[in-house]
Amino acid sequence: MSLDWLGPGRVPVTLNVNGREVEVTIEPRRTLLSVLREELGLTGTKEGCDEGNCGACTVLVDGRTVYACLVLAVDCSGRCVRTVEGLRRAENLHPVQEAFVDQDAFQCGFCTSGQIVSAVSLLEQNPKPHRGDIERAMAGNLCRCGAYPNIVAAVLEAARLEEAPDAKD
Amino acid sequence: MTETVGRPWVRADARAKVTGQAKFPGDFGMADMVHAKILFADRPHARVVSIDTSEAAQVEGVVAIFTAQDVPVNEYGLQTADQPVLCGPGSGKPGADVVRFVGDQVALVVADTRAAAEQARGLMEITYEDLPVVSDPFEALKPGAPQIHPGREASELHPELSTEGNFICHHQIRKGDMEAGWAQADVVVEGQYHTPGQEHAYLQPEAGLAYIDDEGRVAVVVAGQWAWEDQRQIAHALDIPVEEIRVIYPAIGGAFGGREDMSVQIVLALAAYRLQRPVKITWTREESIRGHCKRHPMWFRCKWGATREGELVAAEVQVVADGGAYCYTTNKVLGNTTITCTGPYAFPNAKVDVDGVYTNNPPSGAMRGFGAPQGIFAAEMQMNKLAEALGMDPVALRMRNLLQDEMPTTTGTPLAGGVHLQEVTERCALAAGWERAEEGWRKPAAKGVALAGRPKEAMRTGMGMAVGFKNVGFSFGYQENCWLRIELRGEDDIERAIVTIGTADVGQGAHTVLQQMAAEALQVSMERVSLEASDTGTSPGSSGSASASRTTFMAGNAIREAAALALDGWREGERPAVVEHTYLAPETTPLDPDTGEGFPNFAYGYVAQVVEVVVDVETGELRVRRVVCADDVGKAINPEQVEGQIEGGVVQAMGWVTCENFIAQAGRVLTPHLSTYLIPTIADVPERMETIIVEKPDPRGPWGARGMGEMPFLPLAPALLAAVHDATGVWIDEFPLTPERVLRSLRDGGSLLECDWE
Ligand code: FES
Ligand code: FES
Repeated sequence: MSLDWLGPGRVPVTLNVNGREVEVTIEPRRTLLSVLREELGLTGTKEGCDEGNCGACTVLVDGRTVYACLVLAVDCSGRCVRTVEGLRRAENLHPVQEAFVDQDAFQCGFCTSGQIVSAVSLLEQNPKPHRGDIERAMAGNLCRCGAYPNIVAAVLEAARLEEAPDAKD
Repeated sequence: MTETVGRPWVRADARAKVTGQAKFPGDFGMADMVHAKILFADRPHARVVSIDTSEAAQVEGVVAIFTAQDVPVNEYGLQTADQPVLCGPGSGKPGADVVRFVGDQVALVVADTRAAAEQARGLMEITYEDLPVVSDPFEALKPGAPQIHPGREASELHPELSTEGNFICHHQIRKGDMEAGWAQADVVVEGQYHTPGQEHAYLQPEAGLAYIDDEGRVAVVVAGQWAWEDQRQIAHALDIPVEEIRVIYPAIGGAFGGREDMSVQIVLALAAYRLQRPVKITWTREESIRGHCKRHPMWFRCKWGATREGELVAAEVQVVADGGAYCYTTNKVLGNTTITCTGPYAFPNAKVDVDGVYTNNPPSGAMRGFGAPQGIFAAEMQMNKLAEALGMDPVALRMRNLLQDEMPTTTGTPLAGGVHLQEVTERCALAAGWERAEEGWRKPAAKGVALAGRPKEAMRTGMGMAVGFKNVGFSFGYQENCWLRIELRGEDDIERAIVTIGTADVGQGAHTVLQQMAAEALQVSMERVSLEASDTGTSPGSSGSASASRTTFMAGNAIREAAALALDGWREGERPAVVEHTYLAPETTPLDPDTGEGFPNFAYGYVAQVVEVVVDVETGELRVRRVVCADDVGKAINPEQVEGQIEGGVVQAMGWVTCENFIAQAGRVLTPHLSTYLIPTIADVPERMETIIVEKPDPRGPWGARGMGEMPFLPLAPALLAAVHDATGVWIDEFPLTPERVLRSLRDGGSLLECDWE
C-alpha cells in the first residue's frame, strides 16, 4: 500500500535560512519546523507540541515571529527564516543570548530557543520594553520550569545591553 | 579555599542551551535509522482478544510490528512489575492481555518514515472485549467493583503493598490515646478536602533513539531520572544481561517526577535489539499527556482538636488516593502523605489511615513533592481553620505547635538533621509584614487595590500563610545510595579531575552543582573538573534517582567521601589516583504496619510561604499579587539556581491551584493538549516574588546542604486558599480555582464535597 494520502509528491523549494540559500525537495504538507529539524539538521528549534500551543518552535520569518509548526515550508519559499542558530554575531553571542546566560533565564532549556527568538523580535520592534510589553510579547512561549521572572530580567538586561553595548558590569 | 561552593556559577550547559546546540533526545538521528509509532489502547479497560497486523504490514516502508508475544518478559514497574510492556495475548504473562488505561501500549510499528509508521498504525486491527470501567476510587473499593489486578501476590520487598481488592497499599498511624485527646480538646475542626491530579507538562515530550553501539550493546538515548534503574528494567523485559543495555541521558527537557517511570525505553530497546538497527521515536504532546503518569488526586477527611490556648491535642485523618491503573510509586508517595497530613506539628495523639486505590484512570506516580503537597494542603487548611476557630493569629498558633529538635513526630521519632520550622515561619511572616508585638503576632491589614475597568467593591484582597516540610530521599527503610568514580590526573598538581556519575540533570542544574562540589572537595578550580554523567556505559553503579530532592545531598556526600579517598591516593603518589565509591545515607526504617512507628527519613527541608491575592467576587477571577517564600536549604551550593528552583516551584504550584485542570472522565482524558490543559504563562506569575534563602546547616549534608527542589511547591496551595478566605470569608476546600468554582463557592458559602467514605 502506498502513501498517497499524504497528498502531492515532493517539490523543490528554495529557502533562505540564517542568511544562506538552501534547496530542499519536500512534500508540500511539510511544516517549516519539520524541514528545519529533519532536512536541514537545525535542531535548535524545538518541537514541544506541533500544534501551536507552546512556542518552543518560534522562529522569525521576514522578521516576524511565527510558530514554525503552524507554517508550511513551501509558504516560506523566497522569504528569510531566522532560527536560534542564526542569532550569533560572528563568534559572539547575541545580547539576548548573553542576557539569558547572565540572568539564569532557564532551567532545562527546552523552551529557551523559542524564548530567545521571541525576545529578539520584541527588542527589534520595541527597544525599550516595559514588563507589561514583555508579558504580552512572550505569553506565547511556555516555560514549564517557571523561569519567567528571570526571563523578564534577561529581556530587560538585553535591552540595556543593546542600548549601550559596553554598559554591562 | 577555592570557594566554589556557595557562589552563583553559571550553568555548565548555559552556552549550549542559548545557542540551540544542546541536544535533547528528539534531536538525535542516525543514517540508517527507522521510525517507530506506538499503538495506544485508547480505551480504559478491555481485553485484547486478537491482533491482526496483516493490512498494516502491507504499507510501503513498514519494517516490523511488535506486539505482546515479542516481549520476552512482558512486565515492568518501578516498585512492582504490574504493567505489561505491550498489552495483548501470547506473552505468557498472566493478565498481560488486558489494557487498564487509555495509555496502555498495544503495539509498536516500525517503518522507514514516521508517516508510514503512522499510516500502518491506523490499519492495525485489534479486537477488544470491553470490560467494566471503574474511574472513582471510592467506587473501586465497593464490593462487586471491577477488579483491575486480580490475583496479586504479596511483595516481600514492599509489605505495604496490598493483595486485596483494588487496594494498592495501606499506611496507618496509631499514636497515643485518641479518646483522651478528644477529651482535652476545647475546639474541634472537621474538614474534607480534595486535591486534583496534575500533568507534568514538561516541555520536551517523550522521545528517544536506540541503536547498537560499537561494543554491541543496545544503547538507548532517552530522557529519564535514573539511568541505572531504566537499564535494569529494560534488561529484565528483554531478558538479556544488564551489561548488554546502555542507557544514555542527553539534555533533558524537564522531568518533575514524570520521567521516573518509563515511557518509550523498553519498546525502543526491543525494536533496536531485534532489528539490529537504530530506531527513533518522538511522542506527540497528546501521546505524552495520555501516556505518562500524573500527580495523585486525593481526598481527605480530617478532624483536629486543640485546647483553648491553642495546643494541638489530637488529629484524625483519612486519605484515599487514586493510584490509577498501575502502582508506579504510589506506595512511596503515600508514605510521604502519611507523615505530612498532620503537618509539621507535635501531636500527642494521632490516627491516620491512607489508602492507595487502583482505578482505570491514568496511573498516578511521582510529581514534584511526591505526596507531600497533598498532605500539607489538608494539614495547613486545618491549621488555618483552627486559628480562625480559636481566634488566634495563624503565625502565633503555628509558633506554639511547630516541631522542634528532639520532638517526636506522629511516627514517634524526631525529624533528623535539625528542625528549623520556627525560623522559616518567623522570617517569612516578618518579611510579609507581620508584626511581633508584646501580646503576640499581628497580621498586617489588607490593602485595597484598584484594577482598571473593575468596580472597587468587587475587588477583595487577602493574605494567607502556610508551612511545609518534606523528606530528602525515598527512604522509609530503603537504603539510599550514590555511586561515583573520581580520577585525578597530572604530575605535581591535579591538572584534571574526572568525576563519573550516573546522576541526571533534568534541568534543575544538578551537573553544575556537582561540579562545584567536586572542585571544592578537591580544592581545584572549576575548569579542572570534568563531569561524565548519565551514561550507564561509564557509570556501572547506581547513583540513584534525580528526584525526592535527594541529588545534592546524596551526590554531594558521595563526592566528599570519594574526594578524600582520591586525595589520599594522590598524596601517596598514585598517578592517576582513581577511586570508585558508594555513599550510603544514614539508615532509616519502614513504618510499623500497625502503629506507624519508625524512623522513615534521614533529612528534611523546611519552607514557609505567605500569599497575597485579589479576588474579583463578580467574575470569580483571582490574581496572585505577591508570594513570600522562606526556604531552609541548609546551604545554597549555587544560590542563583536555588532561587530558580524556588520561583519555578511556586509557578508550578500556582498552576496546580489556579489554572491547571486535568480532566479524565470514565477513564478517558479530556485535556490531552496544551490548549485544554493550561499551564501558567509569563503573564500569570505573581507580580512580586520574594525568596528568602535560609541556611541552617544539616550537619550530615554536604557543606550543610539539605534537599530543596520540591519544598517551594508545598505550602502554596493552602496559603493561597487562606488568602482567598481572608479576602472573601469563604473556605474553598478543593481546586483548581477556576472562576466557576470560585463563584459557586462564594454563592454556596464554601465547598460542598461529597465522598462515599464508608
Ligand atoms: S511546537 Fe510549535 S507551538 Fe509548540
Ligand atoms: S527552561 Fe524548561 S521549559 Fe523553560
